[in-house]
Amino acid sequence: MIEVKALCKRYGPLLAVKDLDFHVGKGSILGFIGPNGAGKTTTMRILTGYLPATSGDAWVAGFDVFESPMEVKRRVGYLPERPPLYPELSVGDYLYFVAEIRRVPARERYRRVGEVMELVGLSGWERRLLGSLSKGYRQRVGLAQALVHDPQVLILDEPTSGLDPGQTVGIRELLRDLGGDRTVILSTHILAEVEAACDHVVLINQGRIVASGSLEQVRHEATGGIVYGAELQGEDIIMAVAELEETTRVEPLPGDGAFQALKIWADSDPRPAIARLAANSGWQVRALEKITPSLEDAFLAIVGREPSAHRPGRSSR
Amino acid sequence: MTAVWAIFKKELRIYFVSPLAYVFLSVFLFLSGLFFYLGLTVNGEASLRVMLGNLAITMLFVLPMLTMRHFAEEQKAGTFELLMTSPVPLGSLILGKWAASIVLCLLMFLGTLIFPAVLAYYGDPDWGVMATSYLGLILCSFAFCAAGLFASSLTTDQVAAGLAGIIILLPFWLIGSATSFTTNETLRQILESAALLTHLRGFTRGVIDSADLAYFASFSFIFLFLTYRTLESRRWR
Repeated sequence: MIEVKALCKRYGPLLAVKDLDFHVGKGSILGFIGPNGAGKTTTMRILTGYLPATSGDAWVAGFDVFESPMEVKRRVGYLPERPPLYPELSVGDYLYFVAEIRRVPARERYRRVGEVMELVGLSGWERRLLGSLSKGYRQRVGLAQALVHDPQVLILDEPTSGLDPGQTVGIRELLRDLGGDRTVILSTHILAEVEAACDHVVLINQGRIVASGSLEQVRHEATGGIVYGAELQGEDIIMAVAELEETTRVEPLPGDGAFQALKIWADSDPRPAIARLAANSGWQVRALEKITPSLEDAFLAIVGREPSAHRPGRSSR
Repeated sequence: MTAVWAIFKKELRIYFVSPLAYVFLSVFLFLSGLFFYLGLTVNGEASLRVMLGNLAITMLFVLPMLTMRHFAEEQKAGTFELLMTSPVPLGSLILGKWAASIVLCLLMFLGTLIFPAVLAYYGDPDWGVMATSYLGLILCSFAFCAAGLFASSLTTDQVAAGLAGIIILLPFWLIGSATSFTTNETLRQILESAALLTHLRGFTRGVIDSADLAYFASFSFIFLFLTYRTLESRRWR
């Protein structure tokens, strides 16, 4: 549904996006994550036809973004980082206007406006002026305008920024409900959001993709394999555990008092072997667990090791 | 075409839900009333010559204020991004906005029609001259709106856009008087043909000259075209 190949964008001497390659299948939700200034907004603006790319190709909904921008624009719903509202207009007039410019057929416009208002929880607000809305409601109107023409592709730039936790959950649920055959790209730097809503993740830093794939893959990539934790009490624990067949690396962590905490890298699950070893050696076991790295850890691990790895690429500045 | 119509309606709505249109219309009608009165008392003739002449210079200052909002505000508020990511060709956007400001101008001319009515009641005005004077003024307002839109596309600051509009238009007014300072015949002719007053004069005398029509048409076209190019080039920066 969305295909990006070797996309580059240069603002004067600044390389905002470098050699981006990714693909989003029909009906899936892609999380676009990265620190501020990583190039998320730039990429989304290119995909929506707002900005031209310096080089590279992009197809959205089967059309080349640079050759047939109008066809792409008809099929994409876009929520910019700041909801694009006219403070002088009322919610209803505004959505009707967007329906008009997004070419919703005249006889369907009122119905569609009503439907999207219902969908984002704005029923009964059509006469309110946009300028008088709170941040959360502005964001809802922003989402409603992106949906009003029932687009195949939704591109949302930080859809939950500035919302309270309840509203954030609401938007996430909405995104999941919208799913189905709609393709969604959403950018965020709130990782919980990606975990809650997305099938795939593209992690971007300094304009480059540093990790992509399913959530599991990205986590895996970040931590270099599955990690286990153990807290044991006994003699020569570290040596004995390291000698096990399953373990590849053992790292002692600062434990508390009598118990020794270990971080264990392993090819296959070492927990049964450790348990057996503990029983045979008469060790005390307080914890034995598989550590699932959070996306935060993955993010920090990947982004944290980035600058040194990619500095040569920015020498053009 | 749907896009032009949608933009046009939106712009008019924004004009009339904000105080802008009302302030603008009242200021304009007040000044026209003043000029009408002065024209009658000073010259004592049953014509709108003085009033219409003064309205042209008033428009030069007032119309840029009316159009300054258009692109400056869209860009500042981020709504330009909405328009440019919707299937709206840039040309339709500009035409829609131009049409909305033109309609507002026509409304304000409609308000001044009370003065010819007064003249007709008390005297015997020359209707032909009156009609061509109005035509000239209307064409002039179209051209000023186009220049105002261009000024608005240059910056994201409304006030700067308004001032820029006046600064762009003022030379076209002033070079009319500048012609008397030069003895070079070629230069004088160039200045004269670029000056607004030269081309308004025919209309105020009841003459519709195709050269004058062409002047105002190309004036509008050039500024609309420049607006298009400016907005287009913004995307590449």
